[in-house]
Amino acid sequence: MTPNVIRGALAALALASAVAATAEEATRSDGALLPRASREAAIFRGGLVYANYCVTCHGMNADGNGRAARLYNPRPANLRQSDKNDAYIRLIVTRGGEALGRSPKMPPWGEELTDEQIGDVAAFVRSVNVTSNGHDDTEARSN
Amino acid sequence: MKKTLLSIALCAALPAMAAQEIVVPQKDKAFAQKTLSLKVGDTVSFRNDDSFSHNIFSLSDDMPFDLGTYGQGQTKSIVFSKAGKFEIECAIHPEMRMVINVAP
Repeated sequence: MTPNVIRGALAALALASAVAATAEEATRSDGALLPRASREAAIFRGGLVYANYCVTCHGMNADGNGRAARLYNPRPANLRQSDKNDAYIRLIVTRGGEALGRSPKMPPWGEELTDEQIGDVAAFVRSVNVTSNGHDDTEARSN
Repeated sequence: MKKTLLSIALCAALPAMAAQEIVVPQKDKAFAQKTLSLKVGDTVSFRNDDSFSHNIFSLSDDMPFDLGTYGQGQTKSIVFSKAGKFEIECAIHPEMRMVINVAP
């Protein structure tokens, strides 16, 4: 058996293993790749919410450089550098900036987004934050 | 002399007198009209006929603005003091858009 034939057989075996693993994964009871209640799923869903509602001001990179940012002084928050926890983020998304003593240009989203969407976008924002470990932290912290 | 001064004052006031105000309702997360044509000096009043808040802004280079967030029954107005094409959006509802064309 030549080396090329051996390599081909090993490659075929690896491919078959990958297909089998994928098939096993795809046959989960609900067909989902991530448990719905997992933080990873929340981050994924939150990214979709962010792309639809938040990117205009906070930007594609969540750094406060959205296309509308030039309208505002102070500029939209750089979410990658924020020190706010999940609870605070959920609160400001729900009630808007003015209710929390921040910029009134941050609209309240509580009438538009569901509680799940607000939680998801909070998880997403925390996931892109470079100052935290991205995990939920319900203990309130100050500015 | 008085007649001359009165004539001058009247001529100066004519453009302002010709300016109009147009009310654009917002209902069911949409502007009542997709396009609007105006002249410089006209006012547009955005009236919130929905049961939830809206926010109006425009990123036009000629005259960018953000009227802020306002609730049901409230109205936000702006005078279009420059000519151009203005794309109007709602910060809360990304699907809401209209275009205002302002002639000189």
